[in-house]
Amino acid sequence: MTRYLRLYAHFLRFSFSKAMEFRVDFFFRVFMDLFFYFVQFVFFNVIYLHTNMLGGWNIDQMQLFVATYIFIDAFHMTFFANNTWWFPISINRGDLDYYLTRPASSFFFLAFKEFAANSLINLLLTGFFLGYILFNYPEPLSPLKILVFLPLLINGAFLYFMTFLIFLMSVFWTSSPRGFADVFYAGEKVMHRPDGIFNGYMRKFFLTILPFSVMASLPVRFLTENNETSILVQIIGASLLIYSIVFILWRLGLKNYSSASS
Amino acid sequence: MIKVEHLCKNFSVHKKEPGFKGSVASLFNRQYTTKKALIDFNLTINEGEIIGLIGSNGAGKTTLTKILSGIIHPTSGKVSVLGFNPWDKPNEYRQKMALIMGQKAQLWWDLPALDGFLLLKEIYQIPTRDFYDRIEFLSEYLQIKEQLNIQVRRLSLGERMKVELMAALLHQPKVIFLDEPTIGLDLTAQKAVRRFIKEYRKQYNPMMILTSHYMDDIEELCERIVIMKEGQKVFDGNIENLHQKYASKKVIKLHVFEDDQRAELINRFPKSLGQIEEIGKTVQIITPRENVSESSKFALNCSEINDFSISEQDIGNIIESIQRSGH
Repeated sequence: MTRYLRLYAHFLRFSFSKAMEFRVDFFFRVFMDLFFYFVQFVFFNVIYLHTNMLGGWNIDQMQLFVATYIFIDAFHMTFFANNTWWFPISINRGDLDYYLTRPASSFFFLAFKEFAANSLINLLLTGFFLGYILFNYPEPLSPLKILVFLPLLINGAFLYFMTFLIFLMSVFWTSSPRGFADVFYAGEKVMHRPDGIFNGYMRKFFLTILPFSVMASLPVRFLTENNETSILVQIIGASLLIYSIVFILWRLGLKNYSSASS
Repeated sequence: MIKVEHLCKNFSVHKKEPGFKGSVASLFNRQYTTKKALIDFNLTINEGEIIGLIGSNGAGKTTLTKILSGIIHPTSGKVSVLGFNPWDKPNEYRQKMALIMGQKAQLWWDLPALDGFLLLKEIYQIPTRDFYDRIEFLSEYLQIKEQLNIQVRRLSLGERMKVELMAALLHQPKVIFLDEPTIGLDLTAQKAVRRFIKEYRKQYNPMMILTSHYMDDIEELCERIVIMKEGQKVFDGNIENLHQKYASKKVIKLHVFEDDQRAELINRFPKSLGQIEEIGKTVQIITPRENVSESSKFALNCSEINDFSISEQDIGNIIESIQRSGH
């Protein structure tokens, strides 16, 4: 484990060196993402000018939800997004070859080697914003629950990333440029909506098979509602399912990997 | 030791008729064809041996290298490298092997080579002292010390290959797969890489499998060559065996300064002894081995010779003719 942390420290160092070389890219991404977060926040506030409740949540819960998912998004953008961009390219171009010959996890290299140093600014800003919303939340929040809420946020970002990888790993079989990334992008918008707006099978689907509602909605429910044990079980169950699918698909994908011609 | 038994590898390749109509047809009714990259391939390589894998494009050399290094799975057959099954990807095996691909970079493009080496130090868990000693030795020998702090993308192709070699050898592998290490390099850089490989081998004695289209690489570095054609082995032996088996003829070269003497030699040379042709001021005779003595005598008696040599046929031509005939 410490070896992988040391390897990750190298990735961080490399990513910072690289990011600072390209100044325009560095600042463009910061502004682009902040604008996206601003629009999300305004969008829900405008809706609450016309209604008091949405999917069973009042405006305070909704603001906490928005702050949660933009933090998860910033976390994803910082730690994972660049890797998801390169993931199918590395497989199609045969760049995986060298990682497969190293005495370390090839998945670790492909999934974590790129760190977006510029997005770290947004991660800090969204972290402060989430802290502000939590601090000003009108109902009392249990400190223990807040303590559990923080790893649930990280798990939400991991879950988002791993679900994305399931769609990207199709390139092992299809050799298409982006796998089923577009299908993922169409579905991932569900994460930006409270789970309460979905009913019946649709709701079950987004809480299990495609767990977009597990990523941000359930952590907020865990924090603000009373049935915390069942919510926690649901989050852990859905996460384990997705992580297992990624593990199995990766093994099968490597078996099917044909590299690229020289 | 490397042992390959009855190895087969098939690739399923999507087939498409040309043009828009073909694209639409392939969308609804996709046709696949099976490409046999390796067919019942057998090979044994002993400790410390260096072999050259030769074959035209698509002969199966790179596929074999990728199976041996554990990158791809075979369709069937058995492989053991240093006692390991490569595609199980055990770390103990990966710690002992290295792959160098002339057409693919392993170092971070935007960073100095030394940064990449530090990452490799962590991956292979090389003790700090050994790491710096090896950097010193390799960079000294490859004469690349000054370039280690320059971004890899700013290095010349030759310098890049040198740092790639360093990256692959830092952990002192027991088996090294070199896939076209001199491709695209100028003659000086090719020579430097060859000289380095030779010296490294002398010092550390690893098993090496070299794939190259440059015959100079093969002749200078390999004791044994394996010629592949369409996924099968068509020759396995040393260069002498190759000459004995396939080069039934030898080449006699005579430097004749006077034009009329050259013309006379060409006119009088008996066709039954072999082929004769004029290349500038040189006369070249390609003659069966058993006629070498008689042909030489005839040529020496016939004209005033400034220089004279007898050599084997060019190995490239022999291999080309094997590739064409298939045996």
